[in-house]
Amino acid sequence: MSFSVEPVNQETVIIRIGKALDFRNASEFKSACQDQVRKGVRNFILDFSDTGILDSTGLGSIFSLYRQVSPLEGQVVFASVSRPVQVVVQLTRTYKVFRQFPTVDAAREALV
Amino acid sequence: MDAVTYRFSDLNAVIERVHTLVDHWKAEGIFPPVFEDDTLHMLRLAIHEWVANLVQHADFQDREPQILIDIVPNGKSVHCAIRDNSAGFDLDTNLRIRESMLETLPERGMGLLMIEACTEHLSYSRVERGWHCLEFSVSADQDPWLPIPF
Repeated sequence: MSFSVEPVNQETVIIRIGKALDFRNASEFKSACQDQVRKGVRNFILDFSDTGILDSTGLGSIFSLYRQVSPLEGQVVFASVSRPVQVVVQLTRTYKVFRQFPTVDAAREALV
Repeated sequence: MDAVTYRFSDLNAVIERVHTLVDHWKAEGIFPPVFEDDTLHMLRLAIHEWVANLVQHADFQDREPQILIDIVPNGKSVHCAIRDNSAGFDLDTNLRIRESMLETLPERGMGLLMIEACTEHLSYSRVERGWHCLEFSVSADQDPWLPIPF
């Protein structure tokens, strides 16, 4: 369960979350994001189009990323949010923190 | 409908198998007609969080880990019982501690609170020698909310 990272520009990347972001791969997600932050990336578009599982540990790793980039005026946004992920977003009201876009392209346009 | 029991013992594979099982339940149409997809996602989330908690934190001592999942559709809700042969813990005390310690945008400590928010009639107790059981219902009428500090 690895993540694919697609650069948009020097400050923005798209991360394809894939099937799951949970306790099994949250550390890997954090490492992948930290690598990007070290390279100067500040804006993260998280693509949830194929994601069937987002659990509390996965959400915690996204909060961690947000805490890391928000002091740098960076953003973490959600794109193409699947229903299982939307249920977690609604449950935790995290739509108040993370902007959501219907597609990755819409998120890319908003951030670039 | 009678309870259907599923047994798991390989902790490395259990999460994948649990999700396969929920997919199977859906494909078999065992949920009440009022049980919409979002309610099923809540049931799936509650089971996932509990099994993840067992995989990561449960003390099975020298026993082979055993996790048994029973579900019973009942009107607008589904009752779920998850038995395990771990040493167990005091769920209510843990919930209240986690609730009081929840930091802003927390990285940890949300899992049990998510289960509490998604479910009704939640309990975890010793049921027989060497076994504990988490019981809860997920209802089609719920509109759950876990108040996380932002």
